[in-house]
Amino acid sequence: MRRRLETTAWFMAPFAVILAAWAFVLPLFEVNPRLFPQLSQVIEAARETLADGTLIQHVGASLVRVAVGTTLAIVLAVPLGIAMGVSPVISTFISPLLRFFSVLAGIAWIPIATLWFGYGFGAITFIIFNAVFFIVTYNTLLGVSTIPMPVRNAALSLGAGPLVMLTEVLLPGALPNIVTGIRTGLGFAWRGLIAAEMIATNVGLGYMLFVARDFYRTEVIVLGMVVIGVLWLLIDRLVLAPLERATIERWGMVQRA
Amino acid sequence: MKGLTLRHLSKTYFDPYSGTRVDAIHDVSLQVEAGEFVSVVGPSGCGKTTILNMIAGFLPHSGGDILVGGKPVKGPGPDRGVVFQSFALFPWKTVLDNVAFGPKMRGVARAEREKIAREYLAIAGLSEAAGRYPSELSGGMQQRVGVVRALANDPDVLLMDEPFASVDAQTRMTLQEELTRIWAEKRNTVLFITHDVGEAVFLADRVVVLTKGRVLDEIKVGLPRPRKWDDANKDPEFQRLSAQVLEKVRAA
Amino acid sequence: MILVWKIWGAYVRLTARFPSVATLMPFVPVVGLWALVAHLELFPKVFFPSPLDVWRSFIDLTWKGILPDYLQDSVVRLAVGAAWGMALGIPLGVLIGMNRIAYRALWPVLLFLQAIGDIAWLPILVIWFGYGLVTMTFVIVYTVLFPVVLNTVLGVRSVPPVLARAAQSLGAGRWSVVWEVILPGALPNIITGLRNGLGYGWRALIAAEIIVGTSGIGFLMFDARRAGSVVEIFLGMIILGILWYIVDSWVLAPIERTTGQRWGLVTR
Ligand SMILES: Nc1ncnc2c1ncn2[C@@H]1O[C@H](COP(=O)(O)OP(=O)(O)O)[C@@H](O)[C@H]1O
Ligand SMILES: [Mg+2]
Repeated sequence: MRRRLETTAWFMAPFAVILAAWAFVLPLFEVNPRLFPQLSQVIEAARETLADGTLIQHVGASLVRVAVGTTLAIVLAVPLGIAMGVSPVISTFISPLLRFFSVLAGIAWIPIATLWFGYGFGAITFIIFNAVFFIVTYNTLLGVSTIPMPVRNAALSLGAGPLVMLTEVLLPGALPNIVTGIRTGLGFAWRGLIAAEMIATNVGLGYMLFVARDFYRTEVIVLGMVVIGVLWLLIDRLVLAPLERATIERWGMVQRA
Repeated sequence: MKGLTLRHLSKTYFDPYSGTRVDAIHDVSLQVEAGEFVSVVGPSGCGKTTILNMIAGFLPHSGGDILVGGKPVKGPGPDRGVVFQSFALFPWKTVLDNVAFGPKMRGVARAEREKIAREYLAIAGLSEAAGRYPSELSGGMQQRVGVVRALANDPDVLLMDEPFASVDAQTRMTLQEELTRIWAEKRNTVLFITHDVGEAVFLADRVVVLTKGRVLDEIKVGLPRPRKWDDANKDPEFQRLSAQVLEKVRAA
Repeated sequence: MILVWKIWGAYVRLTARFPSVATLMPFVPVVGLWALVAHLELFPKVFFPSPLDVWRSFIDLTWKGILPDYLQDSVVRLAVGAAWGMALGIPLGVLIGMNRIAYRALWPVLLFLQAIGDIAWLPILVIWFGYGLVTMTFVIVYTVLFPVVLNTVLGVRSVPPVLARAAQSLGAGRWSVVWEVILPGALPNIITGLRNGLGYGWRALIAAEIIVGTSGIGFLMFDARRAGSVVEIFLGMIILGILWYIVDSWVLAPIERTTGQRWGLVTR
């Protein structure tokens, strides 16, 4: 417990120094607020946007898009990846295709997505979907094909039907790869989201930043950047890292079995 | 060639988290003459590695003096060559470049240092392996490289911490014989650490028995050189000395 | 059925001899399907051009010199950004990996800066530096930097301390230890970091070209989008895909594999 507090304190210490410098040293210099805001201005901007509800609105819009796009992608990608991964023939044939599309994941789809779906929710969700879908499909397929043939044969000879095979062997076996895929894909999706929101919508964190730029409201831009950073750290620490830890431990079990 | 002197050496480990102290070395005095081969033998945990690491300069000592050729040591340096139990070869360098590393650090030109390295590799019968990477060699061959790498730097004192503990028994005997042969040629000052009584007696001019951070006894070994295991096994003097050392170690 | 297996067998033998066939072949049916869908005009032609249209546009833009110019712009930007990213990232990673104080002071900040992400920097960069090369270079350096630093730190810490001791007792000074032991020991991780960093950096470049660019493949695509020219968007995407595929699987991945394997760092 003491150790933990100590680690947290050490983690926070540099930020405390930076904030202190921002609050007390920066005001000594005549910095043009159109170039860089004072801490007080950022706090004021936070208060304001929280009070009128716009910050919540932007954050909410971004998170909903990520959630919808990611969920949709995972729900489709995992079964597809498993189905294709079961057959070595299909999986070797198809993986260059999937790699090609994972390589394009996210941002490169912005122009075509906005053309197909128009500006707004559809295009952005499509971009997120895309970023996650191909990478997760590819990783699932990879995960299934790394399950040793003897393990699969053993399950079959123990009388495992297709459903048992799926839930007891294929899915757990591919899980570490699936999680890695989700982590990478989400990283690309998050960046794609911010980029897409800058050009293709009228609500969301990216939009908030980009509009603020038009009016040289640096305090809003910096606020937005901090919010984006904190949100991603939270997603990474509270969702992705535990997921990865759980499955890697699981993977250890699979290895020993 | 220089001698090694330990005077009232002591070491206290301090664990900052639990706040406890461990007195690993109490009061060790030892004189290794120039060109002498001394083995230090003792049970696991008696402080052998601690002593060697302090001499090598990897660990600060808590009290006493460590002198090489009469001068106190400060940090690790090329005057004290070290052979490690885990070999510690550089995986990204070929065998030749590993052996040439010491001369390179001294600023010896490439052609010259490769010549030196090849000479030493030849002594250990490793000429064939010069262009290979350590991961491509067996454990026994890796440790030959480890020994030769330390020697090629021409150290005043050679420090060896259970260097043959992680190779198989047959290879170990070969390596021990080779070490006595090479040492007979170069006559370095050697401090050799081991928990294997037979090994200690076979290699050394003098065996120091260590227990719980103190020197228990010293036994002179006057066996003729070069030594061979076939002769030693038949030699009653070797057996008498081994039994004597073993008794001390077990009494510890 | 037997015929199918025979054809498959022949295909596998062919790919064993010519690995690039295995990479290219799967795209044949995809392009075929694409051509069919376009031919049947399931979607309006302005939204969904045929492969032939894209090919013609490729020839046309190459002929006019626009495509080679833009491609060069993008690749040069990426290369410059990556070079800076490494030049800053590797020393920083070594420092943080070897020094406790540097670690405590910088590591949390690095994690946070990485979380903000490159693209969120674009608006304020535009205010600071305007639309142009500085902004784009900054974004790419920023993206490449963090994976390189984080992986270098990991790599530095994975070097067994006994190797540094061995070097020191052979006469190596502080800098020699860094140069001869720490850097080579960390190299496989550094390359992994570079590979990840370029993966992100390349996307950041596209985004930057789309949002603030005046040339480059990303700009080509977004310009085409403004003009409603789906053909050129398709072309841009295909070029991006091929380019990165080649760089990643034919250059970076093999380097990553061979450094680690030859030294026995990966298998053991
Ligand atoms: N870093 C350390 N911190 C605390 N105690 C240590 C440390 N290293 C060794 N010790 C203790 O010092 C004693 C001697 O250890 P060591 O020199 O490794 O013995 P040997 O090499 O003879 O087996 C042991 O009791 C060991 O537990
Ligand atoms: Mg020991």
